[in-house]
Amino acid sequence: MRQVRDGDLGSMAVLFERHHRPLFNYFVHMNGNRDFSEDLVQDVFVRMLKYRQSYQVDKPFSAWMYQIARNAQSDAMQKRRFEVELGHADVTITHGTDEKLRRQQEIELLRRAMARLPVDKRELLVLSRFQNLKYEEIASILGCEVGAVKVRVYRAVRALGQIFFELSQRRMAAPGEEMA
Amino acid sequence: MNCEDLKRNFVEYWRGNLNAAELENFEAHLASCEQCRAEADGLKQIWSTLGEMPEAEPGLGTRTRFYAALRDMERRELEHPEMRSHRFWWIRHPAFQGAFALAILAIGIFIGNTTARSSGQVAQLRTEVNSMKQLVTLSLLQQQNASDRLRGVNWAYRAEQSDTEVLAALLATVNHDSNVNVRLAAVDALRNFADSPVGRRGLVQALNKQASPMVEIAILDQLVEMREKSAKPAINALMGEGNVNPEVKEHANWALRQLQ
Repeated sequence: MRQVRDGDLGSMAVLFERHHRPLFNYFVHMNGNRDFSEDLVQDVFVRMLKYRQSYQVDKPFSAWMYQIARNAQSDAMQKRRFEVELGHADVTITHGTDEKLRRQQEIELLRRAMARLPVDKRELLVLSRFQNLKYEEIASILGCEVGAVKVRVYRAVRALGQIFFELSQRRMAAPGEEMA
Repeated sequence: MNCEDLKRNFVEYWRGNLNAAELENFEAHLASCEQCRAEADGLKQIWSTLGEMPEAEPGLGTRTRFYAALRDMERRELEHPEMRSHRFWWIRHPAFQGAFALAILAIGIFIGNTTARSSGQVAQLRTEVNSMKQLVTLSLLQQQNASDRLRGVNWAYRAEQSDTEVLAALLATVNHDSNVNVRLAAVDALRNFADSPVGRRGLVQALNKQASPMVEIAILDQLVEMREKSAKPAINALMGEGNVNPEVKEHANWALRQLQ
Protein backbone atom coordinates (compact mmCIF):
# COMPACT_ATOMS: atom_id res chain seq x y z
CA MET A 1 0.00 0.00 0.00
CA ARG A 2 2.95 2.24 0.58
CA GLN A 3 3.77 2.04 -3.15
CA VAL A 4 0.18 2.87 -4.07
CA ARG A 5 0.25 5.82 -1.70
CA ASP A 6 3.44 7.01 -3.34
CA GLY A 7 1.83 7.06 -6.77
CA ASP A 8 2.27 3.53 -8.15
CA LEU A 9 -1.44 2.82 -8.71
CA GLY A 10 -0.67 -0.45 -10.51
CA SER A 11 0.40 -1.99 -7.20
CA MET A 12 -3.22 -1.84 -6.15
CA ALA A 13 -3.76 -4.88 -8.40
CA VAL A 14 -1.66 -6.98 -5.98
CA LEU A 15 -3.71 -5.79 -3.02
CA PHE A 16 -6.90 -6.44 -4.95
CA GLU A 17 -5.90 -10.02 -5.72
CA ARG A 18 -4.99 -10.64 -2.09
CA HIS A 19 -7.92 -8.97 -0.38
CA HIS A 20 -10.96 -8.77 -2.64
CA ARG A 21 -12.25 -12.23 -1.76
CA PRO A 22 -12.10 -11.80 2.04
CA LEU A 23 -13.59 -8.36 1.62
CA PHE A 24 -16.41 -9.74 -0.52
CA ASN A 25 -17.09 -12.37 2.14
CA TYR A 26 -17.12 -9.70 4.83
CA PHE A 27 -19.86 -7.85 2.98
CA VAL A 28 -21.82 -11.00 2.13
CA HIS A 29 -21.83 -11.97 5.80
CA MET A 30 -22.87 -8.47 6.77
CA ASN A 31 -25.63 -7.83 4.25
CA GLY A 32 -26.42 -11.17 2.59
CA ASN A 33 -26.59 -9.72 -0.91
CA ARG A 34 -24.03 -10.76 -3.52
CA ASP A 35 -24.62 -7.96 -6.03
CA PHE A 36 -24.59 -5.31 -3.36
CA SER A 37 -21.41 -6.83 -1.92
CA GLU A 38 -19.69 -6.80 -5.30
CA ASP A 39 -20.55 -3.12 -5.69
CA LEU A 40 -19.16 -2.46 -2.24
CA VAL A 41 -15.88 -4.28 -2.98
CA GLN A 42 -15.48 -2.04 -6.01
CA ASP A 43 -16.33 1.00 -3.93
CA VAL A 44 -13.76 0.10 -1.27
CA PHE A 45 -10.91 -0.29 -3.75
CA VAL A 46 -11.81 2.95 -5.46
CA ARG A 47 -11.95 4.67 -2.07
CA MET A 48 -8.56 3.23 -1.12
CA LEU A 49 -7.11 4.72 -4.29
CA LYS A 50 -8.90 7.95 -3.66
CA TYR A 51 -7.87 8.30 -0.04
CA ARG A 52 -4.48 6.62 -0.38
CA GLN A 53 -2.78 9.59 1.23
CA SER A 54 -4.58 8.78 4.47
CA TYR A 55 -2.90 5.38 4.76
CA GLN A 56 -0.42 5.26 7.62
CA VAL A 57 2.41 2.80 7.08
CA ASP A 58 2.76 2.03 10.77
CA LYS A 59 -0.84 0.77 11.04
CA PRO A 60 -2.02 -2.64 9.77
CA PHE A 61 -3.35 -2.44 6.21
CA SER A 62 -6.32 -4.70 6.97
CA ALA A 63 -7.52 -2.38 9.74
CA TRP A 64 -7.43 0.57 7.36
CA MET A 65 -9.21 -1.41 4.63
CA TYR A 66 -12.00 -2.60 6.94
CA GLN A 67 -12.49 0.90 8.27
CA ILE A 68 -13.09 2.03 4.72
CA ALA A 69 -15.31 -1.01 4.14
CA ARG A 70 -17.49 -0.15 7.14
CA ASN A 71 -17.88 3.43 5.95
CA ALA A 72 -18.68 2.31 2.42
CA GLN A 73 -21.36 -0.05 3.66
CA SER A 74 -22.81 2.49 6.04
CA ASP A 75 -23.02 5.13 3.28
CA ALA A 76 -24.57 2.68 0.84
CA MET A 77 -27.12 1.50 3.39
CA GLN A 78 -28.22 5.06 4.01
CA LYS A 79 -28.55 5.77 0.33
CA ARG A 80 -30.41 2.65 -0.58
CA ARG A 81 -32.33 2.04 2.62
CA PHE A 82 -31.09 -1.47 2.07
CA GLU A 83 -32.76 -4.28 3.93
CA VAL A 84 -30.53 -7.02 5.22
CA GLU A 85 -31.72 -10.34 3.92
CA LEU A 86 -29.19 -12.69 5.36
CA GLY A 87 -31.83 -15.24 6.23
CA HIS A 88 -32.67 -15.67 2.58
CA ALA A 89 -29.13 -16.24 1.33
CA ASP A 90 -28.92 -18.92 -1.32
CA VAL A 91 -28.09 -22.22 0.23
CA THR A 92 -27.84 -25.47 -1.60
CA ILE A 93 -28.41 -28.46 0.59
CA THR A 94 -27.15 -31.40 -1.38
CA HIS A 95 -28.15 -34.92 -0.57
CA GLY A 96 -25.54 -37.08 1.00
CA THR A 97 -25.05 -39.21 4.07
CA ASP A 98 -27.21 -38.51 7.12
CA GLU A 99 -24.20 -37.07 8.96
CA LYS A 100 -23.35 -34.76 6.09
CA LEU A 101 -26.94 -33.62 5.77
CA ARG A 102 -27.21 -33.02 9.50
CA ARG A 103 -24.04 -30.92 9.40
CA GLN A 104 -25.33 -28.89 6.48
CA GLN A 105 -28.58 -28.25 8.30
CA GLU A 106 -26.63 -27.11 11.32
CA ILE A 107 -24.64 -24.69 9.19
CA GLU A 108 -27.85 -23.38 7.64
CA LEU A 109 -29.38 -22.93 11.08
CA LEU A 110 -26.28 -21.07 12.22
CA ARG A 111 -26.50 -18.83 9.18
CA ARG A 112 -30.05 -17.96 10.20
CA ALA A 113 -28.91 -17.33 13.73
CA MET A 114 -26.20 -14.99 12.40
CA ALA A 115 -28.85 -13.08 10.46
CA ARG A 116 -30.79 -12.51 13.67
CA LEU A 117 -27.78 -11.31 15.59
CA PRO A 118 -27.56 -7.53 16.12
CA VAL A 119 -25.31 -6.02 13.48
CA ASP A 120 -22.51 -5.00 15.90
CA LYS A 121 -22.21 -8.54 17.24
CA ARG A 122 -22.40 -10.02 13.77
CA GLU A 123 -19.59 -7.77 12.66
CA LEU A 124 -17.39 -8.87 15.55
CA LEU A 125 -17.86 -12.50 14.58
CA VAL A 126 -17.25 -11.80 10.92
CA LEU A 127 -14.02 -9.98 11.69
CA SER A 128 -12.72 -12.46 14.24
CA ARG A 129 -13.95 -15.75 12.78
CA PHE A 130 -14.27 -15.30 9.03
CA GLN A 131 -11.67 -12.63 8.45
CA ASN A 132 -9.49 -14.09 11.19
CA LEU A 133 -8.26 -10.66 12.26
CA LYS A 134 -6.22 -10.22 15.42
CA TYR A 135 -7.86 -8.51 18.37
CA GLU A 136 -5.46 -5.60 17.97
CA GLU A 137 -6.66 -5.11 14.39
CA ILE A 138 -10.32 -5.35 15.39
CA ALA A 139 -9.71 -2.86 18.18
CA SER A 140 -8.15 -0.49 15.68
CA ILE A 141 -11.10 -0.87 13.28
CA LEU A 142 -13.71 -0.36 15.97
CA GLY A 143 -11.74 2.31 17.80
CA CYS A 144 -11.71 0.55 21.16
CA GLU A 145 -9.33 -1.32 23.46
CA VAL A 146 -8.25 -4.91 22.97
CA GLY A 147 -9.81 -5.82 26.32
CA ALA A 148 -13.16 -4.57 25.09
CA VAL A 149 -12.86 -6.64 21.92
CA LYS A 150 -12.25 -9.77 24.01
CA VAL A 151 -15.40 -9.24 25.97
CA ARG A 152 -17.49 -8.25 22.98
CA VAL A 153 -16.42 -11.25 20.93
CA TYR A 154 -17.23 -13.58 23.82
CA ARG A 155 -20.66 -11.96 24.19
CA ALA A 156 -21.26 -12.21 20.46
CA VAL A 157 -20.46 -15.94 20.42
CA ARG A 158 -22.68 -16.44 23.41
CA ALA A 159 -25.55 -14.48 21.85
CA LEU A 160 -25.18 -16.47 18.66
CA GLY A 161 -25.21 -19.71 20.64
CA GLN A 162 -28.40 -18.61 22.36
CA ILE A 163 -30.20 -17.84 19.09
CA PHE A 164 -28.90 -21.05 17.54
CA PHE A 165 -30.22 -23.01 20.51
CA GLU A 166 -33.64 -21.38 20.24
CA LEU A 167 -33.86 -22.09 16.53
CA SER A 168 -32.81 -25.71 17.11
CA GLN A 169 -35.50 -26.11 19.76
CA ARG A 170 -38.11 -24.69 17.44
CA ARG A 171 -37.04 -27.02 14.67
CA MET A 172 -37.20 -30.02 16.97
CA ALA A 173 -40.67 -28.96 18.06
CA ALA A 174 -41.75 -28.80 14.40
CA PRO A 175 -39.63 -31.38 12.59
CA GLY A 176 -41.68 -31.18 9.39
CA GLU A 177 -40.88 -27.52 8.88
CA GLU A 178 -38.99 -26.73 5.72
CA MET A 179 -35.52 -25.24 5.97
CA ALA A 180 -36.10 -22.61 3.28
CA MET B 1 -7.94 -17.01 36.59
CA ASN B 2 -11.60 -16.77 37.59
CA CYS B 3 -14.67 -17.70 35.56
CA GLU B 4 -14.93 -14.29 33.87
CA ASP B 5 -11.27 -14.20 32.89
CA LEU B 6 -11.70 -17.62 31.41
CA LYS B 7 -14.74 -16.70 29.33
CA ARG B 8 -13.04 -13.61 27.98
CA ASN B 9 -10.30 -15.86 26.71
CA PHE B 10 -12.43 -18.60 25.14
CA VAL B 11 -11.91 -17.41 21.60
CA GLU B 12 -8.22 -16.75 21.97
CA TYR B 13 -7.89 -20.25 23.42
CA TRP B 14 -9.66 -21.77 20.41
CA ARG B 15 -7.53 -19.70 18.07
CA GLY B 16 -4.39 -20.88 19.86
CA ASN B 17 -3.34 -17.35 20.80
CA LEU B 18 -2.75 -17.76 24.55
CA ASN B 19 0.83 -17.69 25.79
CA ALA B 20 2.20 -20.51 27.93
CA ALA B 21 1.31 -18.93 31.29
CA GLU B 22 -2.21 -17.95 30.17
CA LEU B 23 -2.73 -21.40 28.70
CA GLU B 24 -1.72 -23.09 31.93
CA ASN B 25 -4.06 -20.91 33.99
CA PHE B 26 -6.86 -21.35 31.49
CA GLU B 27 -6.64 -25.12 31.44
CA ALA B 28 -6.26 -25.36 35.21
CA HIS B 29 -9.48 -23.42 35.71
CA LEU B 30 -11.28 -25.36 33.00
CA ALA B 31 -10.34 -28.63 34.63
CA SER B 32 -11.67 -27.49 37.99
CA CYS B 33 -14.90 -25.71 36.95
CA GLU B 34 -17.67 -27.86 35.54
CA GLN B 35 -19.87 -24.90 34.63
CA CYS B 36 -17.17 -23.21 32.56
CA ARG B 37 -16.34 -26.51 30.93
CA ALA B 38 -19.95 -26.99 29.85
CA GLU B 39 -20.17 -23.47 28.44
CA ALA B 40 -16.83 -23.82 26.68
CA ASP B 41 -17.95 -27.07 25.06
CA GLY B 42 -21.23 -25.57 23.85
CA LEU B 43 -19.71 -22.40 22.44
CA LYS B 44 -16.76 -24.23 20.91
CA GLN B 45 -19.25 -26.13 18.78
CA ILE B 46 -20.77 -22.85 17.58
CA TRP B 47 -17.30 -21.45 16.85
CA SER B 48 -16.29 -24.58 14.91
CA THR B 49 -19.49 -24.67 12.87
CA LEU B 50 -18.98 -21.02 11.96
CA GLY B 51 -15.65 -22.04 10.51
CA GLU B 52 -17.36 -24.57 8.26
CA MET B 53 -19.55 -22.01 6.54
CA PRO B 54 -18.64 -22.04 2.87
CA GLU B 55 -16.87 -19.00 1.49
CA ALA B 56 -18.72 -16.96 -1.07
CA GLU B 57 -16.98 -16.48 -4.39
CA PRO B 58 -17.22 -13.07 -6.04
CA GLY B 59 -18.25 -13.03 -9.68
CA LEU B 60 -15.71 -12.49 -12.41
CA GLY B 61 -17.30 -9.11 -13.01
CA THR B 62 -15.79 -7.86 -9.77
CA ARG B 63 -12.31 -8.36 -11.11
CA THR B 64 -13.14 -6.97 -14.52
CA ARG B 65 -14.67 -3.84 -13.08
CA PHE B 66 -11.78 -3.24 -10.74
CA TYR B 67 -9.16 -3.51 -13.48
CA ALA B 68 -11.20 -1.27 -15.75
CA ALA B 69 -11.45 1.32 -12.98
CA LEU B 70 -7.76 1.03 -12.18
CA ARG B 71 -6.67 1.47 -15.76
CA ASP B 72 -9.01 4.37 -16.17
CA MET B 73 -7.61 6.04 -13.10
CA GLU B 74 -4.02 5.46 -14.15
CA ARG B 75 -4.72 6.86 -17.59
CA ARG B 76 -6.47 9.91 -16.20
CA GLU B 77 -3.65 10.65 -13.82
CA LEU B 78 -1.13 10.37 -16.62
CA GLU B 79 -3.14 12.66 -18.85
CA HIS B 80 -4.14 15.09 -16.11
CA PRO B 81 -1.56 15.12 -13.33
CA GLU B 82 -3.60 17.81 -11.58
CA MET B 83 -6.24 15.16 -10.94
CA ARG B 84 -4.02 13.76 -8.25
CA SER B 85 -5.56 16.47 -6.17
CA HIS B 86 -8.83 15.58 -4.55
CA ARG B 87 -11.03 17.91 -6.55
CA PHE B 88 -12.13 15.40 -9.19
CA TRP B 89 -12.30 12.25 -7.20
CA TRP B 90 -16.08 12.10 -7.41
CA ILE B 91 -15.48 10.91 -10.95
CA ARG B 92 -14.18 7.66 -9.53
CA HIS B 93 -17.43 6.65 -7.90
CA PRO B 94 -18.07 3.00 -8.87
CA ALA B 95 -21.46 3.75 -10.38
CA PHE B 96 -19.85 6.42 -12.48
CA GLN B 97 -16.99 4.11 -13.39
CA GLY B 98 -19.27 1.38 -14.69
CA ALA B 99 -21.53 3.78 -16.53
CA PHE B 100 -18.52 5.60 -17.95
CA ALA B 101 -16.94 2.42 -19.30
CA LEU B 102 -20.19 1.35 -20.95
CA ALA B 103 -20.93 4.82 -22.25
CA ILE B 104 -17.49 5.16 -23.81
CA LEU B 105 -17.86 1.78 -25.46
CA ALA B 106 -21.33 2.59 -26.78
CA ILE B 107 -20.31 6.04 -27.98
CA GLY B 108 -17.22 4.59 -29.62
CA ILE B 109 -19.20 1.98 -31.47
CA PHE B 110 -21.91 4.48 -32.47
CA ILE B 111 -19.48 7.02 -33.80
CA GLY B 112 -17.42 4.33 -35.44
CA ASN B 113 -20.46 3.07 -37.29
CA THR B 114 -21.81 6.42 -38.35
CA THR B 115 -18.73 8.40 -39.25
CA ALA B 116 -15.50 7.48 -40.89
CA ARG B 117 -13.63 10.14 -38.97
CA SER B 118 -13.60 8.34 -35.68
CA SER B 119 -11.72 5.23 -36.74
CA GLY B 120 -8.80 6.34 -34.59
CA GLN B 121 -11.00 6.61 -31.53
CA VAL B 122 -12.45 3.14 -32.09
CA ALA B 123 -8.98 1.75 -32.51
CA GLN B 124 -7.96 3.32 -29.21
CA LEU B 125 -10.98 1.88 -27.46
CA ARG B 126 -10.25 -1.50 -28.90
CA THR B 127 -6.70 -1.28 -27.60
CA GLU B 128 -7.94 -0.42 -24.15
CA VAL B 129 -10.45 -3.26 -24.08
CA ASN B 130 -7.76 -5.66 -25.26
CA SER B 131 -5.37 -4.47 -22.57
CA MET B 132 -8.03 -5.02 -19.97
CA LYS B 133 -8.70 -8.55 -21.23
CA GLN B 134 -5.00 -9.23 -21.16
CA LEU B 135 -4.67 -7.97 -17.61
CA VAL B 136 -7.54 -10.13 -16.40
CA THR B 137 -6.20 -13.21 -18.18
CA LEU B 138 -2.65 -12.82 -16.90
CA SER B 139 -3.85 -12.07 -13.41
CA LEU B 140 -6.13 -15.13 -13.29
CA LEU B 141 -3.45 -17.42 -14.68
CA GLN B 142 -1.25 -16.57 -11.70
CA GLN B 143 -3.81 -17.47 -9.07
CA GLN B 144 -3.28 -20.17 -6.45
CA ASN B 145 -6.70 -21.59 -7.03
CA ALA B 146 -7.00 -23.95 -10.03
CA SER B 147 -10.56 -22.86 -10.81
CA ASP B 148 -9.34 -19.25 -11.09
CA ARG B 149 -6.58 -20.34 -13.45
CA LEU B 150 -9.17 -22.21 -15.51
CA ARG B 151 -11.14 -19.01 -15.77
CA GLY B 152 -7.94 -17.28 -16.84
CA VAL B 153 -7.55 -19.83 -19.63
CA ASN B 154 -11.13 -19.13 -20.70
CA TRP B 155 -10.37 -15.42 -20.78
CA ALA B 156 -7.43 -16.16 -23.07
CA TYR B 157 -9.94 -16.95 -25.83
CA ARG B 158 -10.85 -13.28 -25.86
CA ALA B 159 -7.26 -12.20 -26.39
CA GLU B 160 -6.00 -11.06 -29.76
CA GLN B 161 -3.86 -13.52 -31.69
CA SER B 162 -1.08 -10.98 -31.66
CA ASP B 163 -1.09 -10.84 -27.85
CA THR B 164 2.31 -12.33 -27.13
CA GLU B 165 2.00 -11.94 -23.36
CA VAL B 166 -1.14 -14.04 -23.16
CA LEU B 167 0.44 -16.55 -25.53
CA ALA B 168 3.55 -16.79 -23.33
CA ALA B 169 1.37 -17.20 -20.24
CA LEU B 170 -0.61 -19.99 -21.88
CA LEU B 171 2.56 -21.80 -22.91
CA ALA B 172 3.93 -21.44 -19.38
CA THR B 173 0.65 -22.86 -18.09
CA VAL B 174 0.87 -25.86 -20.44
CA ASN B 175 4.43 -26.53 -19.29
CA HIS B 176 4.32 -25.73 -15.61
CA ASP B 177 0.82 -25.66 -14.16
CA SER B 178 0.36 -28.16 -11.35
CA ASN B 179 -3.19 -29.02 -12.36
CA VAL B 180 -3.85 -31.31 -15.32
CA ASN B 181 -7.25 -29.77 -16.08
CA VAL B 182 -5.73 -26.33 -16.32
CA ARG B 183 -2.95 -27.62 -18.59
CA LEU B 184 -5.49 -29.35 -20.85
CA ALA B 185 -7.62 -26.22 -21.06
CA ALA B 186 -4.51 -24.18 -21.91
CA VAL B 187 -3.66 -26.59 -24.75
CA ASP B 188 -7.16 -26.04 -26.13
CA ALA B 189 -6.86 -22.29 -25.77
CA LEU B 190 -3.62 -22.35 -27.79
CA ARG B 191 -5.78 -23.23 -30.77
CA ASN B 192 -6.60 -19.54 -30.78
CA PHE B 193 -2.94 -18.87 -31.60
CA ALA B 194 -2.67 -21.46 -34.39
CA ASP B 195 -1.60 -18.79 -36.84
CA SER B 196 1.24 -17.61 -34.66
CA PRO B 197 4.63 -19.18 -35.44
CA VAL B 198 5.63 -18.64 -31.81
CA GLY B 199 2.49 -20.43 -30.62
CA ARG B 200 3.07 -23.37 -32.94
CA ARG B 201 6.72 -23.68 -31.97
CA GLY B 202 5.84 -23.40 -28.30
CA LEU B 203 3.34 -26.22 -28.60
CA VAL B 204 5.88 -28.44 -30.34
CA GLN B 205 8.42 -27.77 -27.60
CA ALA B 206 5.82 -28.40 -24.91
CA LEU B 207 5.29 -31.95 -26.17
CA ASN B 208 8.51 -33.25 -24.63
CA LYS B 209 8.03 -31.43 -21.35
CA GLN B 210 4.86 -33.19 -20.28
CA ALA B 211 4.42 -35.76 -17.55
CA SER B 212 0.71 -36.38 -18.12
CA PRO B 213 -0.35 -38.76 -20.92
CA MET B 214 -3.62 -36.83 -21.23
CA VAL B 215 -1.81 -33.59 -21.96
CA GLU B 216 0.58 -35.33 -24.38
CA ILE B 217 -2.36 -36.73 -26.32
CA ALA B 218 -4.10 -33.34 -26.36
CA ILE B 219 -0.96 -31.69 -27.75
CA LEU B 220 -0.55 -34.40 -30.38
CA ASP B 221 -4.15 -33.88 -31.50
CA GLN B 222 -3.62 -30.18 -31.74
CA LEU B 223 -0.40 -30.51 -33.74
CA VAL B 224 -2.17 -32.78 -36.20
CA GLU B 225 -5.07 -30.38 -36.44
CA MET B 226 -2.65 -27.55 -37.20
CA ARG B 227 -0.80 -29.75 -39.73
CA GLU B 228 2.42 -28.84 -37.95
CA LYS B 229 4.96 -30.90 -39.86
CA SER B 230 7.89 -29.43 -37.97
CA ALA B 231 6.66 -31.40 -34.96
CA LYS B 232 7.84 -34.72 -36.39
CA PRO B 233 11.25 -34.76 -34.66
CA ALA B 234 9.61 -33.94 -31.33
CA ILE B 235 7.05 -36.71 -31.83
CA ASN B 236 9.79 -39.17 -32.69
CA ALA B 237 11.67 -38.11 -29.56
CA LEU B 238 8.54 -38.67 -27.49
CA MET B 239 8.17 -42.18 -28.88
CA GLY B 240 11.81 -42.88 -28.13
CA GLU B 241 11.44 -42.08 -24.44
CA GLY B 242 11.86 -45.18 -22.31
CA ASN B 243 8.91 -44.64 -20.02
CA VAL B 244 6.41 -43.40 -22.57
CA ASN B 245 2.83 -44.46 -21.94
CA PRO B 246 1.74 -47.16 -24.47
CA GLU B 247 -1.39 -45.20 -25.42
CA VAL B 248 0.65 -42.08 -25.99
CA LYS B 249 3.10 -44.06 -28.12
CA GLU B 250 0.27 -45.40 -30.22
CA HIS B 251 -1.22 -41.94 -30.59
CA ALA B 252 2.17 -40.50 -31.53
CA ASN B 253 2.46 -43.09 -34.26
CA TRP B 254 -0.93 -42.08 -35.56
CA ALA B 255 0.06 -38.40 -35.43
CA LEU B 256 3.21 -39.08 -37.44
CA ARG B 257 1.19 -40.86 -40.09
CA GLN B 258 -1.21 -37.92 -40.25
CA LEU B 259 1.64 -35.48 -40.71
CA GLN B 260 3.29 -37.39 -43.54
